[in-house]
Amino acid sequence: MTATTQAARDAAITAGRPLLKVEGLCKSFFGVEVLHKVGFSLQAGRVLGLVGENGSGKSTTMNIIGGVHQMDAGQIQFDGAVYRPKGPRDAARQGIAFIHQELNLFRNLSIAENLFITEFPKLVPGLPFIDRSAARKRAAELLAAVDLDLSPTTLVNKLSQGERQLVEIAKALGAKAKVIIFDEPTTSLTTRETDRLFDIINRLRAQGIAIIYISHILADVMRLCDNITVLRDGHVVGSALKSDMTIERMISMMVGRSIDQLFPPRDYAAPKGDPVLDVAGITQRGTVKDISFTLKAGEVLGISGLMGAGRSELARILFGIDPYSSGEIKIGGVAITAPTPSVCMDHGMAFLTEDRRAEGLMMEAAIDTNIALSSLQNYAGGLGGMIDRGRLAGDVQKMSTSVQISAKDIVRTLVKNLSGGNQQKVVIGKWLLRDPKVFILDEPTRGIDVGAKNEVYKIINSLAAGGAGILMISSELEELVGMCDRIMVMAHGEIRATYERGSFDREELLRAAMWDGIRSSSK
Amino acid sequence: MNGFRGKFTLLALQNAPLILFAVLIIVFGFMSDRFLTPINFVNIVNQASHIAIIAIGMTFVLLIAGIDLSVGANMYLSAAVLGVFLVGMPPIVAFPVVAVLGLAFGAVNAVIITQLRVAAFITTLATLFVGRGIALYFSGNKMVPFSKSVLEFGRSTYLGVPSAIWVFAVVLIIALLVLKLTTFGRQVYAIGADPDAAAKAGINVKRVVFAVYCICGVCAAVGGLVSGSQVAVASSTFGFQKEFPVIAAAVLGGTSLFGGRGSVLGTVFGAVLIQTVENGLVMTNANPYIYPLVISVIIFIAVFTDSSRTTVLERLERRKIRVEPD
Amino acid sequence: MTAADATIASRPRVLPAWKRLLLSEYLVLVLTIFYFVVMWTIVPEIAAADTLLDILSAMMPLLVVAIGQTFVLIVAGIDLSAPSIIAMASVVGASVMTGDAGYANGSGVEILAGIVAFLAVGSVIGVFNGLCTTRFNMPSFIVTLTTMMFFSGAAIWYTTVHTDASSIGNLPRTFIEIGQGRIAGLPFSLGVVLVVAGIAHFILSRTVYGRWLYAVGLNPKAAAVSGVPVRNVIFWAFVISGVCAAISSILYTGRLETGTPVLGQRILLDVVGAAVIGGVSLFGGKGKILWTIFGVLFLTVIDKSLQLMGLPIASVFAIKGSIILAAAIIDATRHRLLVRG
Repeated sequence: MTATTQAARDAAITAGRPLLKVEGLCKSFFGVEVLHKVGFSLQAGRVLGLVGENGSGKSTTMNIIGGVHQMDAGQIQFDGAVYRPKGPRDAARQGIAFIHQELNLFRNLSIAENLFITEFPKLVPGLPFIDRSAARKRAAELLAAVDLDLSPTTLVNKLSQGERQLVEIAKALGAKAKVIIFDEPTTSLTTRETDRLFDIINRLRAQGIAIIYISHILADVMRLCDNITVLRDGHVVGSALKSDMTIERMISMMVGRSIDQLFPPRDYAAPKGDPVLDVAGITQRGTVKDISFTLKAGEVLGISGLMGAGRSELARILFGIDPYSSGEIKIGGVAITAPTPSVCMDHGMAFLTEDRRAEGLMMEAAIDTNIALSSLQNYAGGLGGMIDRGRLAGDVQKMSTSVQISAKDIVRTLVKNLSGGNQQKVVIGKWLLRDPKVFILDEPTRGIDVGAKNEVYKIINSLAAGGAGILMISSELEELVGMCDRIMVMAHGEIRATYERGSFDREELLRAAMWDGIRSSSK
Repeated sequence: MNGFRGKFTLLALQNAPLILFAVLIIVFGFMSDRFLTPINFVNIVNQASHIAIIAIGMTFVLLIAGIDLSVGANMYLSAAVLGVFLVGMPPIVAFPVVAVLGLAFGAVNAVIITQLRVAAFITTLATLFVGRGIALYFSGNKMVPFSKSVLEFGRSTYLGVPSAIWVFAVVLIIALLVLKLTTFGRQVYAIGADPDAAAKAGINVKRVVFAVYCICGVCAAVGGLVSGSQVAVASSTFGFQKEFPVIAAAVLGGTSLFGGRGSVLGTVFGAVLIQTVENGLVMTNANPYIYPLVISVIIFIAVFTDSSRTTVLERLERRKIRVEPD
Repeated sequence: MTAADATIASRPRVLPAWKRLLLSEYLVLVLTIFYFVVMWTIVPEIAAADTLLDILSAMMPLLVVAIGQTFVLIVAGIDLSAPSIIAMASVVGASVMTGDAGYANGSGVEILAGIVAFLAVGSVIGVFNGLCTTRFNMPSFIVTLTTMMFFSGAAIWYTTVHTDASSIGNLPRTFIEIGQGRIAGLPFSLGVVLVVAGIAHFILSRTVYGRWLYAVGLNPKAAAVSGVPVRNVIFWAFVISGVCAAISSILYTGRLETGTPVLGQRILLDVVGAAVIGGVSLFGGKGKILWTIFGVLFLTVIDKSLQLMGLPIASVFAIKGSIILAAAIIDATRHRLLVRG
């Protein structure tokens, strides 16, 4: 950083001039306009929240500022000069750091190596050799700045998701970033890790660093940001100070209409049917202990808890992916002795995983191939087990229409080209084709926009109304309170408490989830 | 109890190649009294050096999750050029010329892989044919004898150590320095772990990948020279299918085919281990037809234990949610 | 990816003819025909009936191995051991049938016993490869690399145990007919290959197992969660590859009239190369029997034309390599063209 730019920046702050000013940003992909005259400004030491549905243009905007894409028209002023980065590296050099949702860390390298991977301190100027002790020392300083009490030589492999996030911030600090862009930083953090992250962000703000914060979690945006800009279909539909903004107003701006009820109503009083899933005393060393509950037909049973409470691990055990040492699982009254996914499926169970990219979908395959995958055997028969392709294609098409996947051609469109919400509908459609009696949903609305969330909720309601039992795992308390008949709270691999609809109390639910976390951290 | 046994298994598995090595040395030592002699050890390293040199280059390629099947052809091309065109030159001039030729060979692979975005497997498969074809054209499909000065170099020793080992040591030290102590070296590991993240982090992925294939090309040519100086003539099958023992040496030394994991020291160990087996079999007058059988079984055991180690590690490192009282 | 991309992908487009050809799955076939026509003007005898029949029978054994390889490539594996299976099966099968003190010589069922021996060797090695990859999580490249080294060595050793010669000859006449015989002017082996290709095509395109193969190649984790028995699917792919190599060995051995331990030594790269040229992806999830047939045809026509031109081995290598390279570059480029539209 040269003295002149530093002076210019100081002057800009005192004059109240923005550090970063985006005007009339336009961008088209393949002739389709995805950004139309987007503009906003950001002052040093402020946090700007950027919200909008998936496909609203948030990511494209940030990718342009971060140098990943080039703009078609418009202008960006940064630090008092015209800014037009040639690539991610150029953007970083000029002082803009972009912390992506999928963190860019190398698991096989140490923290220090990750911090300096593009530019290590040199032993002798001009020679390519790394000064390892200098790298360690500078890394330790940067880690201290983000309150991360770890040795710089620790392999990133050993870090938790929250710790990795902090390493990314340390990296941005090391690059002397003046603007740090966060893209959905909290989706896979525990509540405590989120609090820690927000503390650090507040500290950065106090140091005069400008932050752009992108998130679907509107409560976080309200909590953290000074200004909020809402995008819809590539247009800025509103910018306001936090004091002038409410979550309801953000939602109605994002979707362009007011969603009176994000959670569609269901007849909670309707009598429940027979048990479809009986779990008794499921235990696996180091993972879950003595899990027992019953899920009835027509019931939506929620599982709440912090990240790492054992919710997903329990789901994987129930679906026969991971082993358990003792306990009993009954699906539809039938005891399952050696569960595997295919045995569980045969008994009417379905499972939507939390990580749809890695475990839910074949990204390189078309929509119809994905939907058909788990039902193929139901369409095979006759000589040599031939697949009845006509019947299969017809049913898959019907399913895709009924879960409202928006793509014209399900045979040609690859799943990787769909939005998050549509991808999730593909996974749901895949399982609905089997007409499941028990549906385990692990974070069914993670990373999808408000409109798609609403559609997923409607599907869940109609399944329950049709007599299926739903086991719904979610990190969004609001969602569980809005959808469930009962909520179980897990912590430390155990069920801590169960609440009936009518006695849902958000604070109470959180306390049940936290109690154990507090105990284990004080140990 | 369970944890202890797990850790013990892991320790045994982690050092499986070493244990294997020790067992082999003891067995061969008992079977032949010529085996456990310093001269024989120098001999083993001497014979292993050309494979080790090429395998060091291959390690770079494997670290970025690439592959180079053309190293054998590159070797032969180097030997053919040396034996046909550079006859009059003293080795001190001829060797650098051939090394540059190897670099060019590697650069051709690199251009096709990085600029034309053809998969490394198919690219180097094709250059294997082309390279061997050109070399056969140069040699006229006949034996290529090497000049006297080249053979002298092959036979010469310095401080009692054969020149091949010196060349090998120099290549090894340079490779170690580059991988451990330069930004480039660390970026090689980063790209192997996650090429997309590397690009986003601002690493010039194409340039690093390009350099890696060039390095492998140079190593293959140098390996060809070292091997050539030891064998007097290069037949038309010189270097044929050498890519396989070279890859085997790297894998035996713990380098992953999927990138991001491995070291040149491990690779060197792998190359020496293979040569030790071959040497031990010669010393114990084993039927020559069973050499490849024994060697492949040993490679198999090493890879098998490595995979078991990974499986055990995954189980041990699975995130614990509950701290269970013992 | 944005939602905008989805609308692009689903919008039908009209492409100019040359682009459609470039993107067509018949590109390799068209290239082969083009090459053939060009060669015709240089060496007219390439179009002679005898040459064509020669190409056909030379293609057959290679095609069967390549079909087996296609299954393994679709699940994102590789089977480097196929050529050594050919060699091992060849000498074991020959040692059973040979008139020079063969195990089953004079039993009356020596041909049947021999064929069973061929298939047994192929399936045993295939089972071994499959077990190691699926049960012990070993990378298939290394497993099959070691089985390749082991069985190429073992085939030579086995031969030395049986004979002083470098191969095992004196095979029954009827057996040789399998590799050389003709029915209605067409090679008998063509019939064998058509059956194998037909079954393989049926499995890949019409059965649950076929769909599972692609799913495992595209995303094994997602496949497992969707109830696909991933390990079994991969296991059987290796067994199929082993059996195909054994069938190929029968055809080769019959053609050469001897059980030879170096049989197939040089075809390893041809097999993988042919499949990849046809369009089968090394990264799994993509491949068709028809593509593999085109790839094998392409390589065989090139081989034969170079042989007819009487070129030295040096040029044959260099030209073959360049053509593989050109095909690969065209393939890589056409996908980029597709993205740009």
